[in-house]
Amino acid sequence: MRRVRGAWELVRDFREGVEDPVEHAYKVLGAIRAWEPRVNAFISLEAPELVVEAAESVKRRIESGERVGRLAGVTVSVKDNICTSFLPTTAGSRMLDPYISPFNATVVERLMAEDAIVVGKTNLDEFAMGSTTELSAFGPTRNPWDLSRVPGGSSGGSAASLAYGGSDVSLGSDTGGSARLPAAYTATTSLKPTYGLVSRYGLIPYGNSLEQISPMARSVRDLALLLDVMGGWDPMDSTSLKVGGLDTFNSPPLDVGKLKVCVVREMAEGADPIIESAFWSILERLGSEGAEVVEVSVPIISKALPAYYTIAFSEAASNLARYDGVLYPAKGFSGVWEEFIAESRMRGFGREVKKRILMGVYALSEGYRDEYYIAATKVRRVIRDEILRVTRKCIIAAQAAPILPPRLGERLDDPLKLYAMDVYTVIANLAGVPALAQPIGFHSGLPIGIQWLAGPLEEGRLVSLGTLIEELTGLSGVIAG
Amino acid sequence: MRAVIGLEIHVQISEAGTKLFCDCRADYRGLEPNTNVCPVCLGLPGALPVVNRRAVELALAASIAFKCSIPKYIVFTRKHYFYPDLPKNYQISMFERAGGIPICKGGVVTFPDPSTWEWRECRVRRINIEEDPGRTEYEEGGITRSPYALVDYNRSGVPLLEIVTEPDLRSPREARSLVEYLMLTLEYLGVTNPRLEGVFRVDANVSIEGGERVEVKNIGSTLDVEKALTYEIARQTMIVKGGGRVERETRHWDAARGVTRPLRHKEYEEEYLYFPDPDLPPILLRDEMIEKASKLAEESPRKYFEMVTGMMIPKDLAWSIVTVKHSALLFMKSVKLGADPQVAARIIAVDYKGELRELGRDPHDPRNWPPPETIYALSKLVTENVYTYDAVKGLMLPKIASNPTIDVSSIVLEKAENLESIIDEVLRAEEKAVKDYLSGKSQALNYLVGAVIRKIGKRAVDPRAIRRAVEERLRKT
Repeated sequence: MRRVRGAWELVRDFREGVEDPVEHAYKVLGAIRAWEPRVNAFISLEAPELVVEAAESVKRRIESGERVGRLAGVTVSVKDNICTSFLPTTAGSRMLDPYISPFNATVVERLMAEDAIVVGKTNLDEFAMGSTTELSAFGPTRNPWDLSRVPGGSSGGSAASLAYGGSDVSLGSDTGGSARLPAAYTATTSLKPTYGLVSRYGLIPYGNSLEQISPMARSVRDLALLLDVMGGWDPMDSTSLKVGGLDTFNSPPLDVGKLKVCVVREMAEGADPIIESAFWSILERLGSEGAEVVEVSVPIISKALPAYYTIAFSEAASNLARYDGVLYPAKGFSGVWEEFIAESRMRGFGREVKKRILMGVYALSEGYRDEYYIAATKVRRVIRDEILRVTRKCIIAAQAAPILPPRLGERLDDPLKLYAMDVYTVIANLAGVPALAQPIGFHSGLPIGIQWLAGPLEEGRLVSLGTLIEELTGLSGVIAG
Repeated sequence: MRAVIGLEIHVQISEAGTKLFCDCRADYRGLEPNTNVCPVCLGLPGALPVVNRRAVELALAASIAFKCSIPKYIVFTRKHYFYPDLPKNYQISMFERAGGIPICKGGVVTFPDPSTWEWRECRVRRINIEEDPGRTEYEEGGITRSPYALVDYNRSGVPLLEIVTEPDLRSPREARSLVEYLMLTLEYLGVTNPRLEGVFRVDANVSIEGGERVEVKNIGSTLDVEKALTYEIARQTMIVKGGGRVERETRHWDAARGVTRPLRHKEYEEEYLYFPDPDLPPILLRDEMIEKASKLAEESPRKYFEMVTGMMIPKDLAWSIVTVKHSALLFMKSVKLGADPQVAARIIAVDYKGELRELGRDPHDPRNWPPPETIYALSKLVTENVYTYDAVKGLMLPKIASNPTIDVSSIVLEKAENLESIIDEVLRAEEKAVKDYLSGKSQALNYLVGAVIRKIGKRAVDPRAIRRAVEERLRKT
């Protein structure tokens, strides 16, 4: 385990001339060169000379006293389901290989406007459908903390790139825990924002009503910095909330004496005993610092996983209808249109994607829609109401993952076990509330994470609590090796 | 044979400025293929729809005009089917039974029967706002046999109204009148331009007594509405008379051949996987939007028709004025300035329109019409007996039609000077007749007036005025 400085500290040091952004860029490129052959965190990498050039430009501007952005010289990796016009965007699928978007996602534009340097596009489960980053058309990503294990998913490439120092911060996407689960598996952090706080324009959709592009980093303050840059109203996204001027970075420190933490039983039970003990011990620490920790129960949560998957699969089946080989790279041609699109979809999509499309089609079909899709949206409403009832009183403490990072291949044969990895994380997506994942310990060299949920637009409170936890655990800015 | 007819009319909201969910142009005509496109209307990965408020406002105006019940908010749904010109392979529409909320439910269109001038009613079941797909051209044999297809996405995403009526129509003629009046109303509201190519399409459901309902798709003009339904009713009648049964089916209107033909039978039930579009939250119809739309909805052909006929203008003349929106506006403005309604109506509805037709100019283009001040000035010339109506019609309207912004006083003067010199010329040439007249042969005057009129040319002039002018001139000699 090694420790590196946060992105916010780097920017400060670059600006003060204490640190050289060009040297830093070389360091990041060096880590990528050293780790990539084993980890496979990236699907495509920016040309090293362009990364260095960007860092040189930042350096030059600092030296000549010009204004530089809030992320000047910070290297960022971007999940490959977020559109960029300068690197391919594949969503981890053969279907989009090669596809280069004519536009940048709003978040990418905002990061680059603050002088962040994109180093590459990270690996993911195809179309973000998975929890291990094994289901990519570009091969699995491995966990830098233990190369025989998965980094979690679907934003596993982003998490892995952070865990070995291949980027300072990263953009992931979180539909049902896709950014928080990898954070928990790699001793990194991720904040799934309130639904609508971050523009989805340019995110290749999986479950539109559930997902948010989420900042990923090695410290909570870095998450805050990133969120402040990328968040806020975007006229290009109708689901975007009309808020602006985010300043979660400067959230006031938490008065732990006034902190109330609710442990929702259904989001704490059922995990590996090793994880449970780490979970309760950090809550005890908080208690001894003066926080009030209470247990509550939200029984409807037992319905969360089926509701989540029904909604996500239905939306996915719809979103993925457009990939028919007509406008995107054609994968086969037989001369007859119906056969042509059937063949394109048969060859272009992986097995898991096809499975989810079929289940989504089933859930939306005439005669089944009420029983499945409509029923699931009703469960979502109840869950949202129940969670809001709790978050009005306290911050929710929950597990981030039920198990330690599994070995490659271990979960793949049993889809129910694979889906069950999301059991604690989907709640925040169904309820639309913000959720923070961060490390709280290690067991035999494997990271253990925790998750905190707050009310809508209470990202600032999560940042304050997360910073406090980092002080208690000392776990921020850690990387493998 | 008694027929029952219901229509489903798709009308482009061509006046919305931009497409329904992006900034591309709503009027794509005359553009190079695939130049009026962007990531949103091409359905590119990661692009998101943002609704065009103007399109919603115009749809709302139509819903108010047709006396629909208006919901508090509208909800878009996705309708899935695979087709090459549908870039997302789903169309954003408003399907009620899957959580969609259309902009109109339960309205009524009141339309005139031009043979009796009675107002009829046809109930509107609902109005949806939806996006138009792109356009596919096949080399030959349609989608199943053509060796290739060409797709143009310029039209993809253009806002459409889908207006579904109840089966309240009883004859092809009536169906045509409804569509004509509906399109005219939408023009008055500022929703659409009915004369744009392909701006509307009609699907008709028609059944006769003892038969199932048959859907006829792809009707592209009001004339074809009547033709297709007439054909289809005759076809169904023949089946029934021959002792057969009319089966429920979908047929295609072949406008070139004037027949309906069966569409390929579907081997499976249609399954559109409707659900509310998660990218488009419900859109509240706020009071200020409803107010703006209500203002637009105040305009209607019927309102103008009643105002015009209220001035004792015959109904057919009034209808002729009202069917050209600009001429109705011009008529009202001219009358307001002080023009005599009867004179203005004759000019606008008959003679000026006739001049435009002769010149091959579009009467629907406002630039081809003079300002109301001109109509007023002409009307004054007639009512103050400076000229007869025929003189105005014959001497001035052709000049105005070829130059609508011409100053009326300039052509009045020109004519007066001209007349003097023509008379002088004629009197000089016709010495004998002048002598005859001066010696008391009064019929010589008729000859001289005739000579002047011949000299002026073929155009109609006011013989009485010329007679007066010739007499005057002769008195002086």
